[in-house]
Amino acid sequence: MSFEPTIVSFLCNWCSYTGADLAGTSRIKYASNVRIIRVMCSGRIEPTFVIKAFTEGADGVLICGCHPGDCHYHEGNYKCLRRYHLLQKYIQQLGIEKDRLRLEWISASEGKQFAELIDDMTETVRGLGPSKVKEVMTTYT
Amino acid sequence: MSQRVDPNLMKELESYGVKKKDWNACFHCGNCTAVCPLTEQGSMFPRKGIRSMQMGLKDKLAAGVEPWLCYYCGDCSDTCPRDANPGEMMMALRRWLTSVYDWTGLSGKLYRSKPLHLAVVSFLFFAVLAVFFIFAKIPLLSDPANVQLNSFAPVHVIELADHIMLAVLSFFLLSNMLNMFIKVVIKDKSVKIPIHLYFKEVWLAIWNFFTQWSFRKCEGKLYWFAHLFLMLSYMAMFSLIVLFLGWFQTDTIHPITHPQRWIGYIITAGLIFGSLYFMIGRARKKDRKFKFSHHSDWIWLFLLFMIAITGILIHIFRINGMAHLTYYTYALHLAFEVPMVVTFVAFSKWSHLVYRPLAIFFANLKKSTLALQKNR
Amino acid sequence: MEEARIGIYVCWCGSNIAKMVDVEAVAEEMGKLPNVVVAKNYKYMCSDPGQDLIVSDIKEHKLNRVVVAACSPRMHEMTFRKALENAGINPYLFEMANIREHVSWVHTDRDKATKKSKSLITAAINRVLYHDPLDKRSVDIDPATLVLGGGIAGLAAALEIAGSGKQVYLIERSGALGGYAAEIDLLAPYMNSAAQVLDPLIEQVQNHKNIEIFLESKVTDISGYVGNFDAKIEKKGKEVEKKIGNIVVATGLKNFDPAVIDRYGYGKLPNVVTAMEFEKMLKIGKVETKTGKLPKNVAIIHCVGSRNPDYHEYCSRICCMNALKFANQARSILPEANIFDLYTDMRAFAKGCEELYTQTSRKDVLFLKFEKGDLPTVKKAAAGDDCDMVIDMHEALSGEDIEVPADMVILMTGTEAHDDAKDVAHLVGVSMCGNDFFIEKHPKLDPVATTTDGVYIVGNCVSPKDIPDSVSQAKAAAARILASISQGSVEVEVTTAEVNEDICCGCQTCIKVCPYTAIGYDEEKNVSIVNEALCKGCGTCGSACPTGAIRSKHFTDVQILSQIEGLMSLEV
Repeated sequence: MSFEPTIVSFLCNWCSYTGADLAGTSRIKYASNVRIIRVMCSGRIEPTFVIKAFTEGADGVLICGCHPGDCHYHEGNYKCLRRYHLLQKYIQQLGIEKDRLRLEWISASEGKQFAELIDDMTETVRGLGPSKVKEVMTTYT
Repeated sequence: MSQRVDPNLMKELESYGVKKKDWNACFHCGNCTAVCPLTEQGSMFPRKGIRSMQMGLKDKLAAGVEPWLCYYCGDCSDTCPRDANPGEMMMALRRWLTSVYDWTGLSGKLYRSKPLHLAVVSFLFFAVLAVFFIFAKIPLLSDPANVQLNSFAPVHVIELADHIMLAVLSFFLLSNMLNMFIKVVIKDKSVKIPIHLYFKEVWLAIWNFFTQWSFRKCEGKLYWFAHLFLMLSYMAMFSLIVLFLGWFQTDTIHPITHPQRWIGYIITAGLIFGSLYFMIGRARKKDRKFKFSHHSDWIWLFLLFMIAITGILIHIFRINGMAHLTYYTYALHLAFEVPMVVTFVAFSKWSHLVYRPLAIFFANLKKSTLALQKNR
Repeated sequence: MEEARIGIYVCWCGSNIAKMVDVEAVAEEMGKLPNVVVAKNYKYMCSDPGQDLIVSDIKEHKLNRVVVAACSPRMHEMTFRKALENAGINPYLFEMANIREHVSWVHTDRDKATKKSKSLITAAINRVLYHDPLDKRSVDIDPATLVLGGGIAGLAAALEIAGSGKQVYLIERSGALGGYAAEIDLLAPYMNSAAQVLDPLIEQVQNHKNIEIFLESKVTDISGYVGNFDAKIEKKGKEVEKKIGNIVVATGLKNFDPAVIDRYGYGKLPNVVTAMEFEKMLKIGKVETKTGKLPKNVAIIHCVGSRNPDYHEYCSRICCMNALKFANQARSILPEANIFDLYTDMRAFAKGCEELYTQTSRKDVLFLKFEKGDLPTVKKAAAGDDCDMVIDMHEALSGEDIEVPADMVILMTGTEAHDDAKDVAHLVGVSMCGNDFFIEKHPKLDPVATTTDGVYIVGNCVSPKDIPDSVSQAKAAAARILASISQGSVEVEVTTAEVNEDICCGCQTCIKVCPYTAIGYDEEKNVSIVNEALCKGCGTCGSACPTGAIRSKHFTDVQILSQIEGLMSLEV
């Protein structure tokens, strides 16, 4: 059996979570590897959450927010974007491949794009193999 | 080269039988094209024709043969959601095209003016009667019970008149056909038809002419039959009068088994049946294709019918030895015949007899040329 | 903290979930988890018996936490919170696991879907353990309303509110009321006079004792929150301050400038005019070319600046019917002229509009269709031609390249947001979409409210629309405002941020990131303080706070972190 990665996904309530709901109501099929956590705004997503997901054993983390300009809270997605760039540098220092963390904009109408994104991310992470973070964490702590 | 749109063409076409209500109503859904049994892949007929009419693309319309391919089954008008009567628009387009091919301009004048057409017909009618009144001698000396039609109207004189008329009208008709050929084939730079195809396709055109085979694709077999019967009878009568008048117009009364008699009966039956069928249809206006009539349709049918009726009356009077009635009816017969031939052959409805097969011929030529190019 | 007693309810949603998820097995397994007292599965949890099941279990088993695994919380979270409230426990002690939209409807492997459901529910259980009861809060409403914009939408809103005896301050930047409607001759589709519609409205507004009009004025600052805004109004250099409870934004539209589209020749060819310029000609009753001649050929071009990725991708909605209106008016003024209507799609959706199209199509107007990506080009006619201009186009219905003669070309210019839309958005605290139109709270279910409570957006500043739609929106906003005024107070967001003053170091990072200026600074205590009436609960401050002093209620760190733990406790 091939490796089945676990992907934790943080979605903002107004655009991306609704977009994922739309994928459901449109019955668009995608990989079952993703586990979704809802936050009100992508601006709420703390670096801690991402690191926590990796240390708990996630093989990939996906953050989705509203498209630039569409944020329900005006500019939370821009703040998320800034944090994401810093976080990308940080996780690489921890030895986590950069492709394991991804930020994408999904609007409430992009159910199809969401499904494609999940399939794409799942394949990318499957290609990278299991994340070593949890193993390392349990060995040294 | 882009063409200039001209909304005034529609106003002109109104005198050829298009109703303003109709051309304003069409919004190009294409239902007419979808239901038309004659539409072939690649041609958007009749919708595209209507579009060209609305936009006033004269050159494009003049170069198109599509209206001639239509036999007016009326399906398009029946299914039109806007009651735009596409079938009737096609009919009007055929009338307009007849005037376009006619370089003398007479055709357009006859189509656009009902009084003028009636006046010309009446004038010729009385002119023929006058000619008989002045020149024909009723053979008084002979036995009144013995009909001597050839003394009243000598075959060689009538034949001469026939041939003069044939020559004049053929000149007009042939030059109009040439005009059509130039507009449809020569000016169309998109296809260059190889000479050998003309010989190959001509047989199909002749076959179509005599059977009106593509007509059968349209619904209503009686319609097809009435039209074919009328057309063939007319053609037979035409050739008998023009080429074999000496054989056809005799003073000797042949037995009923003689071809002269039964051929004459069949022809007359065809003419009466056909013209009655169309006249009744047009009078009742129930059938879609008969709903709208242009004045040219009525004059045409009336003259045809009268020619047939007078023709059979001449025969009845003759075999019953009613000499005077025979002569008068003969004069009347020609008085109906002459205006019909003069106003219709080259300038009006009669001409579709040649334009339609020509159009099919040209359309097939273009199709075969394209097929040849594709195979290459 | 009292010991958690959790009830788990797994919904079948008929066969919607049950077909792809083994709901019985899921419920059974979840029942084994610590703190779970009840674990049930039921056909339709959202139905009355489904909700009753929760209520009676809460009472019978003394549950103090509930998890429902069913559809999206966006669908039924409120339903189940209500059930908890009915059973007498705080509605926020509830969490939903979305096993329909995110599981059964999108996956095809029953085993994997069942497993995924288990981990989502485990996560929900982990999260709900840390939920806190939250109390509803309300603030008083000031009965006065501020209306920005004196166009037809602003007028309608002002009149509706003032008619109920409430004070309205109507702000108009120009010197006259009426907006664009005042420049229009006739109104499509019924061709009635715009002045006859507008003038009585303006008169009523001007004479209304509850409406104070500020012409040539602008609002320079708005502070406060729903029910308690303070507005600074600048009127001809003088500043006035007003207290208001609600705001209606009706700042309207701007016309697209066609000079940027080279091919239409606007600005270069004298007889190419915009819709508003033609409207002016109609208003003074003089439709003629620049040289004073009656045009023999009039061409109307649709979608100028609209439905075009180079300018505006959206449809401006009002131009098609205005074009038909122009065709009709031109036909009656110029009975002999050729009238051409160059359109790409005829959009006649509103009441009476399809009828107008049908009528117009019977008036010898030649409709010529061009494709969206293949626009017509207007050029000067050659010398000696009998028309002034020639329009080259590819006509889509015939497939022909044609030229259209024209002596006058009317460009149906689209509508766009005002240049200062961003300033207005910032002033009142609303968001803008990519086209600089203001964004509704919900495009379908809450189209006049915004995410800032007490601020309503109506008319063309939201999206292009016709007068009936603008007036409907204005009156809808008025109704919403009057409802909140008659309530006297309004409920505000409870899932706000709060500051733990013991930990706050006073760095003021949170103040910088807050999009609602909801966080203030207490200089005496050297800590940040959240104005809960302004806070929307986005949580941005929470994730920016370096010390963890800010808690986003209902989305706290511990809630989300333990949710992650729950999520990862089962393998994929």
